[in-house]
Amino acid sequence: MDRIAFKGVTKSFGPVTALRPINLDIAAGEFVTLLGPSGSGKSTLLNIAAGHLAPSSGQVLIGDRDVTALPARRRNIGMVFQSYALFPHLNVYENVAYGLRARRVAGKETARRVEEALSIVQLDGYGPRAVRELSGGQQQRVALARALVIEPDALLLDEPLGALDRQLRKHVQLEIRRLHQRLGRTMIYVTHDQEEALVMSDRIAIMRDGGIEQIGTAPELYRQPSNTFVAGFLGESNLIEGRIERILGGFAELATDELGISIRGVAGAGLATGAPAAALIRPEALTLSPEATPRLPARIEEVVYLGDILSIRLRLASRQDIWCRRFAGKSDLPSGTVTLGWSEQDVRILPIAPPGNPRPQSN
Amino acid sequence: MSLARKITLHALVAAVLAFLVLPILAVIPASLNSASFIRLPPSALSLRWYGAFFQDGEWTSSLLTSAKVAAIATGLSLFLGTAAALGLRRIEGAWRRILSGFFLAPLIVPAIVTAIALYYVSRPLGLVGTTIGLALGHALLCLPFVVVNVGVSLAGLDPILLRAAEGLGASPFRIFRTVTVPSILPGLVGGAIFAAITSFDEVVISIFLAGIEAKTLPVKMWETIRVEFTPVAAVAATLLIGLTLVFFLTLHATLLRSRRPKAA
Amino acid sequence: MPEPTGRPAVATTRALRLQHVVVPGLLLLPAVGFLVLWFVIPLGQLFLLSLSDPRGAFVTYREILAGSVYRRVLVNTILVAANVTLISVALGYPTAYVLTRLKGFWLALAFWCVLVPFWISVLVRTFSWMLLLEAHGPINAALLALHLADRPLQLLFNDVGVYIGMVHVMLPYAVLPIYAGLLRIDHRLLLASDGLGASPWMTFRRVYLPLSLPGIGAAAALVFLLSLGFFITPALLGSMSNLTLSMLIENLVNERLVWPLAAAASFVLLAGTLLLLLIGARLLPVRQMTLAG
Repeated sequence: MDRIAFKGVTKSFGPVTALRPINLDIAAGEFVTLLGPSGSGKSTLLNIAAGHLAPSSGQVLIGDRDVTALPARRRNIGMVFQSYALFPHLNVYENVAYGLRARRVAGKETARRVEEALSIVQLDGYGPRAVRELSGGQQQRVALARALVIEPDALLLDEPLGALDRQLRKHVQLEIRRLHQRLGRTMIYVTHDQEEALVMSDRIAIMRDGGIEQIGTAPELYRQPSNTFVAGFLGESNLIEGRIERILGGFAELATDELGISIRGVAGAGLATGAPAAALIRPEALTLSPEATPRLPARIEEVVYLGDILSIRLRLASRQDIWCRRFAGKSDLPSGTVTLGWSEQDVRILPIAPPGNPRPQSN
Repeated sequence: MSLARKITLHALVAAVLAFLVLPILAVIPASLNSASFIRLPPSALSLRWYGAFFQDGEWTSSLLTSAKVAAIATGLSLFLGTAAALGLRRIEGAWRRILSGFFLAPLIVPAIVTAIALYYVSRPLGLVGTTIGLALGHALLCLPFVVVNVGVSLAGLDPILLRAAEGLGASPFRIFRTVTVPSILPGLVGGAIFAAITSFDEVVISIFLAGIEAKTLPVKMWETIRVEFTPVAAVAATLLIGLTLVFFLTLHATLLRSRRPKAA
Repeated sequence: MPEPTGRPAVATTRALRLQHVVVPGLLLLPAVGFLVLWFVIPLGQLFLLSLSDPRGAFVTYREILAGSVYRRVLVNTILVAANVTLISVALGYPTAYVLTRLKGFWLALAFWCVLVPFWISVLVRTFSWMLLLEAHGPINAALLALHLADRPLQLLFNDVGVYIGMVHVMLPYAVLPIYAGLLRIDHRLLLASDGLGASPWMTFRRVYLPLSLPGIGAAAALVFLLSLGFFITPALLGSMSNLTLSMLIENLVNERLVWPLAAAASFVLLAGTLLLLLIGARLLPVRQMTLAG
C-alpha cells in the first residue's frame, strides 16, 4: 500500500468552485476520513483520488508517482460506492472476480483470491448467489470484497453505509475498522456522520465549502478545534460569543456583555484583541456544584435521563441555552436555578468561523 | 355509469376490436380455397395454392429476396442505430434533441416521397432492382426503431456501474462488452425484431426500387393483386401474417425474459 | 502496474474534454452520414428537380396548387384524411377509455387486438378488405342473405372501401395516443367532481373530456398526418376517378413520366405533413418526441 498526497488540488465545474486548493498528505496504511456536510467537496476529492474526475489544477500522488494524468482504470485503486454498484447481471463470484479478469489473472489464481476475499468479508460460499438475492449489508460486503481482491494501493469508500439501517451501520463500522487493522491498507473514507468518523479513523479531515477546515486525530479535533465550525461539527459543544479583551501567556479573556462576566480560557490560534470570538465549553466540563467558579447563574430548563448520564439543558441570563452532562449518581435530579462552574483549562477560546456557502449541488 | 350504458360501451369496443382483428384473418381461408379463383368463403379446402406458391420460381425468389433484404437492412440498422444510441447518450441539450428528431425523420416523411426520391437517385447509380438498393431503402425505415429501442435500454443502465468497472481496471472495450452489452441486449433484440418486421412488410419504397432481378414478397403481391386476383396472393399474405406473429411472439418472450436477470 | 507520466492536470482536462466530443461524434457519424447520404441528399435532389421546369422554377408548384385537376386531388386528399381522422378518433376514444378500465387478462387481450394488426403489413390488411368487400364477397353475401340489400353493393373501388380500409389501418394509431393521454388523468379530479355533486355526464363533459383533449389532439394530428401521405390503401381500394395526392404522385412518375411535377407534388405533400407535425407537437408534450433519456 502507498501514501496518497494532494498538492494544491482544485476543482471547478464551470463558474462553480467545488474544491479550493487542497493540500493533504495521507501516510501509507493510514485511515483518513473526509468529514463534512453536503456540498463540502469530500466526494469530489475522493473521485479525484480515484481518477474519475480530473482536478482543475494541482497534483495527485500515489506513492511517489504523479498519477494526476492517469485514468482511473490504471490507478489500481479500490472503490466502494454508496449504492454498491454491483453488476446486476453477474453473480457474486463474477462481481468479485471482475477486477481480476480485467487484469487477466489466470482462472485458478482468480478462484483462490475470490474465495479469500469472500472469506475476509465473511461471505464464504456466496459465490454462486445472484446479487438481488442479497440483503443491503451483504451487497455492501460483496462491494468491499470486489475492491479488496485486486490488492489495491489504496481503498476509497464513498459513504458506503448510507443505505443501511442504524443497527447494521454500527456493526459494519466496526467490521471495517477491524478490516483495516488486519489488512493495513491506506483508506480514505467519506461521510457526513461524525460518529462514524470517530469510530473508524486514524485522522479526520473536516471539510467545508470545498476546503479542509482542520485535520487531526479525533482527540486533537475534539479538544483543540480550530474554529467554531469544527467545534460544532464534532461532538456536543457550548459556544458563548463575545469579544477578546486580552491575550496573555497562552490564555485569552473573552468579554461577554450580556452575561456580565469575562471568560478566561486556553487561546486558540488566529485570535486578535478586540475581535469577536467564542468560548467553547464542552458539556462534560460544566459543573453544577455551588463551590465551582465562576458561578455563572443559570436556570435548569430540561433534564434528559440517559441511564447513567444526565443531559441537562440550562438557560443563561442572555437567554442562550447550553448543555451540561454529568453522571446521574444516586442524588435527586437537579432543578431550579443553579450556578455553573468550570476549569479554565477546559475552556477554549476560538475564532468564529465565517458563515458557510449554501451550495445546491452534491459534493 | 349505468349498467346499460356500460354494456353498450363494452359491446361497441368489442366490435371495434373485432373489426381490427378479424378481417385480417380473412386471407387465411382464402388461401385454402380449392377453387381456382379467389372467393370467400371457400367452397372447399385444399392446399394446392400453397403448392403453387412454392413451385413458382418468381414467388419463391421474391420470398428469398425479402429474407436477404431484411437481413441486410436489419444488420445495417443495428450497427448504425446502436452506435447512434450510444453516441446520443453521451451528449446533452439541444444537439441531443435535434439529432434524436433527425433519426426519426424517415418515419415522418411520407413513404411515397421517400420512395420516389430514392428511385430518382438509384436509377443513375444502377441500384434499381438490386438487393442492396432495396436493403438501403429499408434500412432508412429500420434505423429509428433500433435507435429508440437501444436508447430506452441504455437509459436503464446506471452510469455508476460503468464507473465501477473502470475503477476496477477494465478497458473501454471490456466495459462495453461485459457491462453495456448485457444491459442493452433486450434493446438490441427488440430493435432487431422491429427492424425485421418493418423490412418484411415494407411496400411503398420497395415498389419503386424493385426490378425484375430483385423484388420483395410484398412487391410481387402488389403486382399480382393489380393484375389478377388469384389465391396465390392469399398464400403470400398468410405467410406474411405468420411471419409477423412469429416475430411478435419472439419479442414478447424476450421482454419477459429480460425482466429476470440471470447469473453469468 | 500504472506508469508515471508527469503530465499536468490541464492536459488531462483537455484530453477528457476531447473524449466528450470526439467519441460521441465518431459513434454518431455512421448513422448521421448514412441518413445524409441516402435520405437528405436524395430529397434535396428531388427538390431541385421540382424546380427544374424550363418554363420557370415555381411553375410546377403553381400547377399543382392552382391547376383545377390537381386542386381537386388536393381537396380530395384533405377531405379523405379529415374524415378518416374523425371516424378513427370517434371510434378510438371509447376503445382507449375501455382499455384504461381493463386489467389483467382482458387488458392483455385487448392490447393484442390493437397491437398485432398494427404490425401486420398494410398490404395484407388492405388485401383482406378487397376479399371481404368485393361484389361476391362475404359481406355482400351477408347483406343479401339478411335482406338488407337487393343486389350486391359497390363497396370496393370507391370512397366507401377507402374509408373502411384506412380507418382499419389508422385505428391503432388513434387508440394508442388517446390511451396514453387518458392514463395521465388524475382520477382524484373525477372523484372531486363527483363529490361536489356533479352528475356522471357533467363530470365527463366538464372534467374528463377536457383533460383527454391533449391525447385526442395528438391522435388526430398523427392520424391526419399519416392519412395525407397514405398510398397503398387508397390505391387498391379506391378508384382512379378520385385520386389522393400519393396516388397522383405515383401516377405522375410511373404513367405520365412527368418527374418535375411529381417532385413538386411530393414537396407539397411533405410541406403539409411538416406543418401538421408542428401543430401536433404543440399538443403532445415535446419530451415524448425525444428518443434518448
